[in-house]
Amino acid sequence: MTTVMEHPASAPGKPAAKQPLIEKLNIFTAFGLGIVMAILFWYLARTFLPENTEGSFIKTRLDAVTIIGMLGWFFGFMTGIGALIGPFRWLLGRDLNHDENMFYAGKDQGVKRYFRYTTDHKVVGIQYLVITIIIFFVGGTLAMLIRMNLGRSGGAWLQPQTYNAIVGTHGIVMIVGTIIMITGPFGNFIMPIMIGARDMAFPRLNALSFWLIVAAIPPMLSSFFFGGISTGWSAYAPLASQAPPGMDGYIMFIVIFAISTMVAGANITTTVVRMRAKGMTWNRTPIFIYGVVASVALALPVFPLFFLSQVMSAMDRALGSTFYDVRGGGSGWLYENLFWIMGHPEVYVILIPAVAALMEMAPVFTRRPLFSFNVAIMGIAGISGLSILVWAHHMYVTGWAPLLNGPFMLTTELISIPTGMLFLVLIGTLWRGRLWMTMPTASIYALLWNFMIGGITGIYLSDVPVDGALHGSMFVTAHFHYTLMGAGLTGALASLVFWFPKMTGRMFDKTASWVAFWLVQIGFNVAFMGMFFVGLAGQPRRVDAYAALFDQGNKITTMAAYTIMAGMLVLLYGVISSWTNGAIAPMNPWHAKTLDWTVPNPVPLENFDVLPVVTSDPYGYGKAQS
Amino acid sequence: MSELEVTKRPSIFKRKDVRLTAVLWVIFSILIGYIAGTVQARSMGAAASETMSTTINMMKIFTWVSAPIAGLVAALAATTLLSKLHFGDTPPAEADHEIRNSPRIAAAWIVVSALMCLFAVVWGMVVLQKDDAALLNPQSMNINVVGQQWVWNFDYIDSGKVRSNDLYLPVNKPVVFHVTSNDVIHSFWIVQMGIKIDANPAYVTETSVTPNKIGVFDVRCAELCGLLHAYMQTKVHVVSQADYDTWIQSQGGKI
Repeated sequence: MTTVMEHPASAPGKPAAKQPLIEKLNIFTAFGLGIVMAILFWYLARTFLPENTEGSFIKTRLDAVTIIGMLGWFFGFMTGIGALIGPFRWLLGRDLNHDENMFYAGKDQGVKRYFRYTTDHKVVGIQYLVITIIIFFVGGTLAMLIRMNLGRSGGAWLQPQTYNAIVGTHGIVMIVGTIIMITGPFGNFIMPIMIGARDMAFPRLNALSFWLIVAAIPPMLSSFFFGGISTGWSAYAPLASQAPPGMDGYIMFIVIFAISTMVAGANITTTVVRMRAKGMTWNRTPIFIYGVVASVALALPVFPLFFLSQVMSAMDRALGSTFYDVRGGGSGWLYENLFWIMGHPEVYVILIPAVAALMEMAPVFTRRPLFSFNVAIMGIAGISGLSILVWAHHMYVTGWAPLLNGPFMLTTELISIPTGMLFLVLIGTLWRGRLWMTMPTASIYALLWNFMIGGITGIYLSDVPVDGALHGSMFVTAHFHYTLMGAGLTGALASLVFWFPKMTGRMFDKTASWVAFWLVQIGFNVAFMGMFFVGLAGQPRRVDAYAALFDQGNKITTMAAYTIMAGMLVLLYGVISSWTNGAIAPMNPWHAKTLDWTVPNPVPLENFDVLPVVTSDPYGYGKAQS
Repeated sequence: MSELEVTKRPSIFKRKDVRLTAVLWVIFSILIGYIAGTVQARSMGAAASETMSTTINMMKIFTWVSAPIAGLVAALAATTLLSKLHFGDTPPAEADHEIRNSPRIAAAWIVVSALMCLFAVVWGMVVLQKDDAALLNPQSMNINVVGQQWVWNFDYIDSGKVRSNDLYLPVNKPVVFHVTSNDVIHSFWIVQMGIKIDANPAYVTETSVTPNKIGVFDVRCAELCGLLHAYMQTKVHVVSQADYDTWIQSQGGKI
């Protein structure tokens, strides 16, 4: 038996030929093989696919060629990164041995393990953190371009097609970024330690879910060269059927990302259900774990629909089917339904872990127990359950089923009850606590403020007659930025500062965190308040130019948006400078009581020498304990 | 929300932090209600139909009903913020109590939010019912609206073959719009009248309104419909019945 231990990858002078295959594969081979396969598939498709039928209203050849090329990329990339080695070895009856598994876990590989198909959950967590930062950087840059275009009346220094492509790409990039921003980095790095596990239940699936996201990004970005995603992130048919081949990039992106989400959801759910430490009953499981599980478990039933909606879209474009085309008996309303059945729970996929993360921090920074743990769980469960019953409130004015507007208004407004429970828990925890002012503490306040505004404006929009006036206006844009960014991103940034010491072994630069906090929060509130005004006054969404009436609001929003950018750049500087030469972090800098703070820095492979036994919940702050 | 304070022992009101919260609650509620209400009224401008007046009214009342909730959350949060902050690298002493729950407060909170939710739903349903009933009004005039990339066409089907790109409506006369599209999904939106309905290819959707003000108002497309979506807008001219009749005749239609 040839073991990996005899062929350490880093050993100098080893002849390459003797290296086992799994040691040779990394991100570079993946990109190489992906590009080669993409070109090969594209060339073959171009050569062998038949011409479009004369006179038919469906023209499929160009899209078929594009999609086949992108599939080539996908298969090439996943093969090149080594995702197929495990399954193949298993098929051949030679499953990986212990040493090979250790190699997969990234043992003794230093920085190299971050560029490989590594299964250690901590490596995956860091990989997710980096990819999230990259995604936000791309999405944020696009946001700045949007605001630059809208900064003066008439707007329009960008071509309408370019502008629409930027809006659509910003939308989908940010949606994906916010979906993974907490369950990705912190759900992978922190969650297993927090429940006292050595790794995830399915470490290879964990690596798979991450590399699928990397594989998904190039098709999406490539769309800029094929006409762009000019349909907004919702990509309604039949507008999407009209769109240039850039749309195929969107479809591939969603299809691959949905697989990643399903894989991650199954993995995280199984891990939490099966692998909590001895004694960690559900009543002793930290609230952050509930948030992460609710988020990914909610994605499990709904992302397959997202996947399906885009597969059908691809079939319409490339194979001549007519799922969404009225000329062939299809309906655009089918797409809208499939899309929003995913689209609304997805909002809570983003929001719940952000709120739960801040709930986890609230006891730490107020030095008192979490208020009403059971109500917090009821809130999370209530939101998760109701959120799959509300989708058609995005469709009040579509005319799809006017009789259903009433029932959907009911379910939508019911969601304010469990949402209120989350507020009660945070407020109750703050009340009479001794506030330890840090950036995460301030973030709890920012979340309460932003989420309150996002929630109340949501009640306006949930009301059918009011939605008749506000739907499709900038008011809606401002509303969902208040929830996804004002609440969601605030929670993610707080999580970054809070768990940075455990993830990198260094403290996050305090000054940078505070400067970033204030710039982002002030900029955010001014920017989106301005957007509320112009929305109320009647500016539609997704327009590259507007009437003079909206000048002032748009100018304010644009200037404030630059402030957000400044804040995010300060934060990025904080990440880089703290990571490279920040103060060395103690094991438990916040004196918190969850298990993640009981392991040393850097966290050893497999986390715990001896698995912990849990005897109480982690919120035992206060007089009784001291 | 009064349960929160009242159902507790009376002595609670003697506590400094509770008194501070109560005062802040009142101040914040009024401030939030007033500022949010004013901003809305200012931004939305004058209504040009009963539908829009109702909408503006509903938003105003939603704002005033939610103001005490937002005010309470803000007051409770602010009270903590105004007392004994701790800065530094090590944690402060732990809290002098270990309150983990208060079923009464939780129950009060949930009941109150459920009642408010019920209020919003019932009221919404009532208005919705009225809007739906308006569609069946036999006195209404009918206009077919056809969206196409990137113009609106209006067919005055009650007056023969009249088509225009600007919309003309007589004041105080109910009108039902039958809306469809030639290509992709558009959304027919008369801003100052507060009505909106999607224009779907091959389907006809309906909405209705009674303009109650003479003037020129805006029609915009509210659903991204491709390249020139931003420019897919036109005007509504609401005129007196006599002026409307004159206009229809000038277009070759019958009254």
